[in-house]
Amino acid sequence: MAVAVLFEPVEFVRENFDVLLAGLERTLLVSAIAMVGAFFIGAVLGAARAHRVPVVSQLAAVYVEVIRNTPILVQIFMLFFALPQIGITLTPFTVAWLSVMVWGGAFNTENFRAGFEAVPHRYREAALALGFGRVRAFLNVTLPIGGRIALPSSINTYIAVLKNTALLYVISYPELTKTAYDINASTLQTLETFFVLGVVYLALVWALSVLIRLLESHLALPEQA
Amino acid sequence: MPMLFALPEWVEPTARYMFEVGLPGTLRIAAFSLVASAVVGVVLGTLLTIRFLPSRALIRLYVEVWRGLPIIVTIFIVFFVFPVAGRQFEFDPFTSATIGLSLWGSAQIAEATRGAVQSIPREQHEAAAALGFGWFGRHVFVILPQALRRLLPPVVSLLVGIIQNTTLASVIGASELLTTGKQQVERITSPPPAGIGEIHAIEIYGAVMVVFFLISFPLTRLAIFLERRLV
Repeated sequence: MAVAVLFEPVEFVRENFDVLLAGLERTLLVSAIAMVGAFFIGAVLGAARAHRVPVVSQLAAVYVEVIRNTPILVQIFMLFFALPQIGITLTPFTVAWLSVMVWGGAFNTENFRAGFEAVPHRYREAALALGFGRVRAFLNVTLPIGGRIALPSSINTYIAVLKNTALLYVISYPELTKTAYDINASTLQTLETFFVLGVVYLALVWALSVLIRLLESHLALPEQA
Repeated sequence: MPMLFALPEWVEPTARYMFEVGLPGTLRIAAFSLVASAVVGVVLGTLLTIRFLPSRALIRLYVEVWRGLPIIVTIFIVFFVFPVAGRQFEFDPFTSATIGLSLWGSAQIAEATRGAVQSIPREQHEAAAALGFGWFGRHVFVILPQALRRLLPPVVSLLVGIIQNTTLASVIGASELLTTGKQQVERITSPPPAGIGEIHAIEIYGAVMVVFFLISFPLTRLAIFLERRLV
């Protein structure tokens, strides 16, 4: 039987604007913290992997494999529901940024490792010959060049980090998805709720992808352009 | 029973429940999603190479939407929004999770297929056409068999992604490994006779992680190996 379904997304947004905006802000805040953290984790551990720094390199390899080969949802469960068993109780906010940051850091370690390893050896040798120390050679030569080689894959990781924040629904952290879920439960405006939720995520993800393309052409190495 | 060390009493029934109820659920969702993703993805990806604007725009939209949305949101859409369109679109949690994962997976495969089909040299199309194949025969008998080789590494990677994302079925209550693990943690925590009033979340979620690692790790290695060999 055909029942006229009222579909008023604009009205819906107007009525729930403050709540939705608060959810969006939390999603963006958690994503931003996690992205910045994942960048540093990736750069440091990626360098350790690429330059085969003893011990650190092996530990980083274990970290990467464990995170990549287990579901992030179980990782979130571990941090939030299991750690209290040994007396470590984290707030939902801490688990929120920590879980997606640790996840993104593992993928970024691989991205940066591949990027650093793709930097021709002669560049580093040239830097060492010019009297740069090992650290300075890394910071001034390997990082800027390898970081750009790693840019496309690491940006995909940042987009995945943003999308993974939706999983924080399971620990009731009021980010966008949890917010929308609750609005749906109280208003029963299912169509509007998930339409708006989907549009916001697609807008964020698509905007980020476009930004990346621009950034990519802007930062492309001269020889690749 | 001769054992080196005795396992606590709660372990045996918990493990049996998770392996007999949870793990098969996980594997079933993964298997159905993989097959659906592969079939729909290869078809859409091949159609995406046709230079007919309306069909290309539609498939592009499909790919970008289901690839862009977080999978948990896709599963919510299937589970909560589809029924709005009618009773025949009302699915149980197991089916909803499978459909959600398939939408995401088919979008991934479609994109990979497009790349693989377009990487086959033009001469192959021309040779097939010269032999009298039409568009359909050309693609089914000549182009796709060659493209599938290049598709193998992304499909194995997708399988890892699908297996790990089956855990998302737990948010809508479908029975899979993480769901059963969660149920067991809660059961054991409750006072006797149902439980024993102890928390064993680390052991149980740890076991879930180990199981997923044992399944995923060989597959990730395989994907890397195939990538090196086939590219």
